[in-house]
Amino acid sequence: MLELVDLSKKFKHMYAVKNLNMFIEKGEIIGLLGPNGAGKSTAISMLSSLIEPTEGDVRFHNKSIIKNPAPLRKIIGVVPQEIALYEDLTAEENLQFFGKIYRLKGQLLKRKVDEVLEQIGLTDRRRDIVKTFSGGMKRRLNIGVAMLHEPELIIMDEPTVGIDPQSRNYILETVKRLNQEKQMTVLYTSHYMEEVEYLCDRIYIMDKGNMIASGTKDEIKRILSAEKTILIQAELLNDTFINFLHENPTINRVIKEEKEITIMVPKEINIFPILVKMAEDAKIELNSVDIKIPTLEDVFLHLTGRALRD
Amino acid sequence: MIGIFQAKIKMFIRSPWVFVMMTAMSIGFALIIGGTGAYTAITVPVYTTSEGIQNSIIGDILEDSDTYTFVWSSEAEVMEQLSSNKAEAGAALGEDNFQMIVGVETPSAKIIEQTIEEAYAKQAQYEHIVAASGATTVAGQKAILDELQASIAAPVFNIEVENFRGEDAFIYDNTFQTLFGFTLFFAIYTIAYNVLPILVEKKEGIWDRIILSPVKKWEMYVANLVYSFLVGYLQVGIIFSVFRFIIGVDFHGRFIETLLLMSVYVFAIVALSILLTAIVKTVAQFNAVLPIIAVSSAMIGGAYWPLEIVESKFLITLSKLNPITYGMEMLNGAVVYQYPLKELLFPISILLLMGVVFIGIGIHLMERRHI
Ligand SMILES: Nc1ncnc2c1ncn2[C@@H]1O[C@H](COP(=O)(O)OP(=O)(O)OP(=O)(O)O)[C@@H](O)[C@H]1O
Ligand SMILES: [Mg+2]
Repeated sequence: MLELVDLSKKFKHMYAVKNLNMFIEKGEIIGLLGPNGAGKSTAISMLSSLIEPTEGDVRFHNKSIIKNPAPLRKIIGVVPQEIALYEDLTAEENLQFFGKIYRLKGQLLKRKVDEVLEQIGLTDRRRDIVKTFSGGMKRRLNIGVAMLHEPELIIMDEPTVGIDPQSRNYILETVKRLNQEKQMTVLYTSHYMEEVEYLCDRIYIMDKGNMIASGTKDEIKRILSAEKTILIQAELLNDTFINFLHENPTINRVIKEEKEITIMVPKEINIFPILVKMAEDAKIELNSVDIKIPTLEDVFLHLTGRALRD
Repeated sequence: MIGIFQAKIKMFIRSPWVFVMMTAMSIGFALIIGGTGAYTAITVPVYTTSEGIQNSIIGDILEDSDTYTFVWSSEAEVMEQLSSNKAEAGAALGEDNFQMIVGVETPSAKIIEQTIEEAYAKQAQYEHIVAASGATTVAGQKAILDELQASIAAPVFNIEVENFRGEDAFIYDNTFQTLFGFTLFFAIYTIAYNVLPILVEKKEGIWDRIILSPVKKWEMYVANLVYSFLVGYLQVGIIFSVFRFIIGVDFHGRFIETLLLMSVYVFAIVALSILLTAIVKTVAQFNAVLPIIAVSSAMIGGAYWPLEIVESKFLITLSKLNPITYGMEMLNGAVVYQYPLKELLFPISILLLMGVVFIGIGIHLMERRHI
């Protein structure tokens, strides 16, 4: 349905997005994953015709939308990363406004507004001014506004940042339900692995403007099949120990956090005795050494050597 | 488009505070500083060496002044008033000339001087006319003078009377000076703060949402422009109506014309605000720049004091680029000088031109710089 071909966007001298290739089919939930500044929002702005790419093309049903965005605009709904609402109007008035600009009116508008309020769970707050809403409620309304005109494709840019787990689950459920009940196609952007893992059929991973992996969940996790991820916990981690880890040629990656270290090693290597020896030499005490089931987070770690959230 | 407009109106009604405050300030300042012409007239003590002056045309003209109360005194009284700072300036009036007696050089002194000068000029003109008429008897001369006076007092000016006024005679009317000045000044704030949401909506992504909808770009701009225009115009209408109908300032019979002329100014200021909104990057910058622009335009545009007393060539040149200058020129022209529309076409067209150019550049900049 929608295809991005070698899409790039350059701001001044820096590429925010570089040679991005991507496609979305009807009825899918696609995840777009990446840390802060990866270029997700920029990619979304290009594919929803809000900014012009420096290079490449966005094709909707095989026709470029760069010169003629109208057919695409008709069927998409965009949930922007920032709350884009009139803070001085009530929830209901916001929905009415955005409904009206989509040419909804009269009974139909009223029905759609009621329906969306129900879906986002704000029916009993409908007459309250948005300014008085909590962050999570604003987020929900921000999503609701994009659903009014029943878009075939909804594009959500980090719809869950900064809200409590309850609201977050509510949003995730809503997205899943819309996809199942209304066959709405979803492009879901996030830097939370769990969300993308839970929701999405296929996943794209971006970092620093580049696409670093793509495929179904399983395909992506298979990237890790040659490696295993090991989590080391210890009291008083010292530099000597860390240096040992870095110096060891069989250890591919070392990522240090406060009280734990994640390392990646080839599957066939038995690393336990080596670790124990290192700990002895560095005079530290290991609390635990675990092999982790690979998650998307690990995939990211593997691909970039950095944690997704720092 | 209607939807955008309705939403704006709704938000306006919900928080009209900037509007109410600016309107109240305009009225308040104009009232306090300008007064209504009756009780704030500045007293100017004058004395004369020749008896006839007080009852001559000069005397009549001075006594008719709305702005100043000329008080006939003795030389000693004039000196006393000046030295005790009870008066800013006085004058010694002679048969054909006069002498200003000024304590400190102030803008008022200059204007007082011009006012008296004008009275002498008028007297000279009258004398010429009387002489030209060939009337020889005292009664005949008096009849002609009366006729002249009557035609000047008549509300409809004919060409004959217009000729009486020298090309650059300067009339200073404190009531209108401050009323117009503060109205034009505060209208900038009201209008600019009603254009500002464009910037906010762009930043917050509301603008993008509307772009994705079937609403056309031009509809977005038109809705915003029309809304800002109406709010600005409403404020002007309220201020002028308060002065006209509650306080009883008569606008010299040109109330409706004044209101109509203001639409041109409001349009130019909407345009200026669009340009400003397009240039600044953040609301904070906007908040910082707006007062600078508003206050400096008001100063060099003659909103606080009449431009006629400004002498710096540089400031005069700057004032030519300033919508307030033309706004004041237009309003003073219509009300104080009673010019016909034809003579106001210059400031009107300059304001319209400024409006079109500012909007053109403003929208161009906004479109070029995404978000
Ligand atoms: N308008 C712009 N002008 C200049 N640089 C920009 C602009 N928009 C984005 N960038 C840069 O492009 C890069 C990608 O930004 P983008 O917002 O697409 O990242 P993101 O993946 O959405 O990040 P986040 O998770 O923080 O939302 C960043 O380095 C950012 O600074
Ligand atoms: Mg983003």
